[in-house]
This record gives sequence, structure tokens and C-alpha cells, in this order.
Amino acid sequence: MTSNPLPVNSSRLGGCTLTGAISVTSHVRDAVTIIHGPAGCSHHNVSLLHASWLDNDHAILPELVSTGLSETDIVFGSEETLRKSIRHAAGRDVRAIFVLSTCIVETIGDDVAAVCAEEYGIPVVPVPTAGFLGGTFHDGVNNALIALAATAGPCRKTGGINIIGEMNLEYEVEENYTEVARLLSLLGLTVNLRFVHDISYDQLARLGAAQLNILRSPALVPVGEVLKERFGTPYIPSFPHGLSGTLSFIRTVAGACGIDGQEAVSGECVRQEEMIAGFSDLANKPASLDHTLSGAEEILAAEELAAVLDLVVGAPGKSSRLPVSAAIGTVGTRRMLHRWRRAIHA
Amino acid sequence: MPECNNPLWPCAMTGAAACLAGFDGIAVVIHGSSGCYYYPTTLLHAPLHGTFICEDDVIFGSEGRLVEVIDGLSGTGKRIAVITTCVPAILGEDIRSMLDGHDVILVDSPGFSGNVETGYAKALAMLEPRINPASPSVNIDGVCLFDPFAVGNEQEIRRLFTLASVPVGTVFSRDRFDRAFRASAFTVGTNTDFPSGVGEYLGGMLGFDAIRATFTRIGEVIDGAECDPVYAELDQQEERVVRACDKYLHRYDPPVAAVFAGSSYAAFAARVLRQYLDAEICCIGSRTAPGDAPVPMVEAAGLSQVKNLIQIHNPDLVIGSSFERSVSGTAAFVGIIPPLRGSIRLAPTPLAGINGTLSFVEQVLNACMDHTP
Repeated sequence: MTSNPLPVNSSRLGGCTLTGAISVTSHVRDAVTIIHGPAGCSHHNVSLLHASWLDNDHAILPELVSTGLSETDIVFGSEETLRKSIRHAAGRDVRAIFVLSTCIVETIGDDVAAVCAEEYGIPVVPVPTAGFLGGTFHDGVNNALIALAATAGPCRKTGGINIIGEMNLEYEVEENYTEVARLLSLLGLTVNLRFVHDISYDQLARLGAAQLNILRSPALVPVGEVLKERFGTPYIPSFPHGLSGTLSFIRTVAGACGIDGQEAVSGECVRQEEMIAGFSDLANKPASLDHTLSGAEEILAAEELAAVLDLVVGAPGKSSRLPVSAAIGTVGTRRMLHRWRRAIHA
Repeated sequence: MPECNNPLWPCAMTGAAACLAGFDGIAVVIHGSSGCYYYPTTLLHAPLHGTFICEDDVIFGSEGRLVEVIDGLSGTGKRIAVITTCVPAILGEDIRSMLDGHDVILVDSPGFSGNVETGYAKALAMLEPRINPASPSVNIDGVCLFDPFAVGNEQEIRRLFTLASVPVGTVFSRDRFDRAFRASAFTVGTNTDFPSGVGEYLGGMLGFDAIRATFTRIGEVIDGAECDPVYAELDQQEERVVRACDKYLHRYDPPVAAVFAGSSYAAFAARVLRQYLDAEICCIGSRTAPGDAPVPMVEAAGLSQVKNLIQIHNPDLVIGSSFERSVSGTAAFVGIIPPLRGSIRLAPTPLAGINGTLSFVEQVLNACMDHTP
């Protein structure tokens, strides 16, 4: 294996578990996240969150507290340092504390769960994260969602849909949510809880009330299974990608909720046909699809779209390289088409 | 470092990477996880390599993985530099002996060992730069890839050196690797938080007074230096600054400014604001070890410290990073340290040199006028 940083070259490049978990816990507004490790680990993540939150028009940073481990802590153990940080945070006006560990803490063998189990007067929730020792970025997301789900008790089903595991660091996270909420509204359905995106700690209690969970991506299936077992809520494994994926999503949601979705599907079909007509100028243009950073669902949706548009894909000679990204729903597909047009005209 | 709310400054490993990646001819390997690799890569916009170690490497030893990556880079003609991150640093492996037979620069600079300037200094020391006393030139130091003004600073000092017919020595740390071993005996600074320690230091390039003094020293030690064109430009441009600030003061009160930066840039910003705008510097929060400034500096390495200082002093102008901007409310803001998120920066703007002061004053006046009711 080389050290080439391209993700396609290595399974080692799954990202940092800690970052994945922070992307979840930082979205509980009235809680504090403590990162048990050197200040540098926290800074890396603070900086990343700062960038992605600004991109999404959130100027205010979430509360991330670093235990600021030094060389001395690492030599002599750092559980007391963590205990002090938890006590300090518990003395502030917060509803809960999430404690995330780092590679170095895992390596020196601190018992983070035991320290968190002590009495602090407010919920202290340890999230199993340990950088690369804990797995990948996605493992961090899943671990955090599962840890937070454990704080929610059983509750009466009141209807509504949960959105599970939105990619909070994604540039278009709000737009993707808006599109899914729009598709649900075609069936007369509303969102019960965005688990976890910009919510309060008390809202977590509503997790079990939904009739259906919609996962952002199939990587969240372990979370879907936990929620199914805990609350009896079925799940759909992914947001919709592309044209037929969107229509199929409407049908699946309708079926899961016992709704006749035919009218909604027909209406969305008309909307898609009108949209495609608006890009008829791309027909017969030579093109290739840039798969570099795309998942299987995204590639399938892009290939379908290229066929519908009559693009000439893979022909010899000069062609435009079209970016393939997550085209969530019809609106997301339209945005990708604008990028394709830009690439073809470039 | 004690407990810290939202730490605002990167770790030593990032500093070491910022130093080494600036030299063309070094292949930098981050010996650590993909998480540790990702941050300096995105921050520095420089090609870095990584070992991307996993749990198995920690349990069974990372030698195989490290050697695999280094072997992959052999034959590229580049000198390989390995930077250790936190976990490999405490595993107790003898990395030096693992690398026997490889011509590798090893920098033990784990994140817990300090902050970005600690790692930068350590990496530069490991390079062991050497001086060529016969070189009639002047080095430029403080050019650190971590600094968003680094490229602009270098270009501006090169321009001034050209004006003064002064050959440029080695740029620390943004130059060809071999030039680190043929440095000049004299050095000027652009950002003294990242000093090279190479050669005799002739002075800094932040602010008109410092530039004037530094060129006076250059004129004394470099044969053939003609500093009059620089002095003439200094006089001309300082007059423009004075006029612009005076015009501002005709209409508005001086700003009450809170300054947050590394010690070097913070002192520069405070002096300029006080000198040309009669600004009240209500506080200076330094990311690095506090240094000399018009008002005492305090260390402000976390967002809560920054927030407290801003709440206490209620400034109408905040100088800092986009972290500061996020807690500045309606105050005018000018960014001088990373990160500078939320705005597009494409041109290599300087803070050092004549154009650096012009650019800073220009941004301050525009920001203040935009925010003054």
C-alpha cells in the first residue's frame, strides 16, 4: 500500500472516530462535549466544525472542552484530569455532558466509562471513540448516535418521521434535509426528530415516537437496527438518490406508513420530466462521469441521469468530466445538473 | 496545557509539518492515523504523506507499516522526513533504529508536546540549517505555511529587497531544501512567532518603523545595498496611511480594539492601531507566549478566554481569526491569523512589508466604516 492519500487507495483512510462522534454530539445545543485528550485533537475538530458551521450560516461554535492532556498526564494517567473537567462542566448551565476519548487515552488505558459512571448531578454519557483505535469516522457517528439513543426511554408512537444520522459536516446538509422533508410532505408526513441535528437534549426523548426512521446512508444500518430493536421503529436505509431513486423512495415511505402514494409519485414524476426538459441542451454531448469520490448509489443515479439526458458517455475523444455527487431527491439532482452544464460549457 | 474550552491553536505535529512541507525536496510523512494526517493536509494545502496506522499497527508494532511507506517514497529524489504523532510517540518503539538504512529526518513532535510553534521550531532544528558566510544576501524567516499571510509576506519582502538591490538568501521555511544549507549570515523576520534562529537577526518587517530600522541595518552589513528607494517608498506610503487615518478621525472616534493573534502579529496590529488611529487597545490575547506590546498581553488559547475578554472590554473593533469573529457580535472585524473561514481569500496578501501595513490599515478602516452607525 502506498501513502497516497486518495481514499480509493486505502481502507486505512476511514477518518477519525472522534471527528465522527463530535459531528453528532456537537449538535445537541444545551450539552457540552468533553474531548479527553491533547488540546491538538480538540483544535483539529474545533477548526473543522467552525468551517462547516460557517458554511451553514452558524457563526456560533458548539461547546467543546479539551482535557488538555500533557506529557505528565500521559505518563502518570489522566483519569483525575477527566474527572475534574467533568465536574467543572457539570457546574455550568448544561443539560448533559458527552465524553469522547482519543487515541492516546485508549493507548494509555484510562477507564473513561468508569469515570463517567460516577455521580455528577447531570447525565454524563461516554461515547466510545478513540480516533483510529476506535474505527473510522462512520464508526464514530454510529457510536455517538447509539450512545445518545440509549438516553431516550420508550414513548408512545405519535407519528412523524425521524431523520437519522444527517451528515452534519456536509456542505449541503440543510438543503438535503429540506428536500427529504418536501418529499415527505407530498405524503402528508412531517418530521418528528432530526437525530441528531440542532436539537436540545430533552428532544432526544422523542426518538421513539416516530413511525419510521429514514437513515441518511446505508452506513447507518447498525443504528437503524438498534433503534428498531429498542423502539420497534422500522427504517429506510438511505436518503433518495437520483430520479428513479426518488420515486422509489416516495413509494417505500408510503408503503411503510400505510399511505396511498400514487398521487405523490405521479406529481413528482411530472416535476422530474419538466426539470429534464430544461436540460435538453446537454443531449448528445460527449461526457465521462467522475467517480473518484462517489458511492455506488451516487454512481447509479448519475448513470441513469446521463442516459435520460442522452449524454454520450465513454465515447473516444474529448469529453467533459462530470462531477458525481450525492444528488438527493429531485432538487439535488437539479443542482448536480447545473454543475454538469457548467462542466460541459467550461 | 490545562483544560481548555474550544482550543484555538494547532498542535506541535502540525507545526512540524508546516515547517518541513515548505521545503521543496522533502517528502513529509505523518506517522499516525488518518485523523492526524487530515488536519495538516487541509490546513497547509501542501502534499503530505501518511502511514495511516490502524489498531493492528499499535498492537503489533508500526515498523512494517512505516518502512512500507518510506520504501514507497524512496527513489523520488526527495529527502524523507517522518513526523511522529501522539500514539507512535508513546509506543516505545525505537523509530530511529527502524529507519536504519534510510536517510530520513525524524522529528519527534507529538501533539501533546506543545503547540504549533513548538513543532515548527523543533522541525527546523532537526534540519540543521547551515550558513554560507560568503553569501552576500539576507534570509527571510517566519514564512510558515500555517500563516495565511506567509506567501504574501515573502513576495513583499522579495519586492523590497529588489528595490534595495539586496539578494534574497534562504526563505525559512518556503524554499528549495538544499538552500537550507547555504543560508546567508543575516536574516530578517516577517513573523517572529516562527523564527529560524539562522544567522544574525537584523530586525523585523512588520510596520513602517520596523522596516525602516531593519533596512538601516541591512545597509550597514550588505555591500551594495541601496536602501534609499525603500525609504522613499516608506515615506510616501506612510503619508498615505496618515492621511487616510486622519480623514477617518475627522468623522469618527478612534476604535476601541481587542487584538488576538500570535505574539508577533498582535504586537504589530496594536502598534499600528495606536500609532495611526489613536486606538484604545483594550486587550491583547496571544495564542503564543506573550511578548512586548503597547499594552500587556495575556494568553488566550481557548474560545472561552477570548469570549470573556470581548465581553469584559466590549470593543468596537476585533482583530483575530474567524473564531474571534464568531464571538464579536456587531463589532468590526479584521482577520490576521488562521483560521479565516467564511470569506474567500485568493490573493497572497501580506502583513509584513510596506504593503502589509497598507493592507492592514485599509482593512481596518473599511471594517470600521462599515460598522460605524
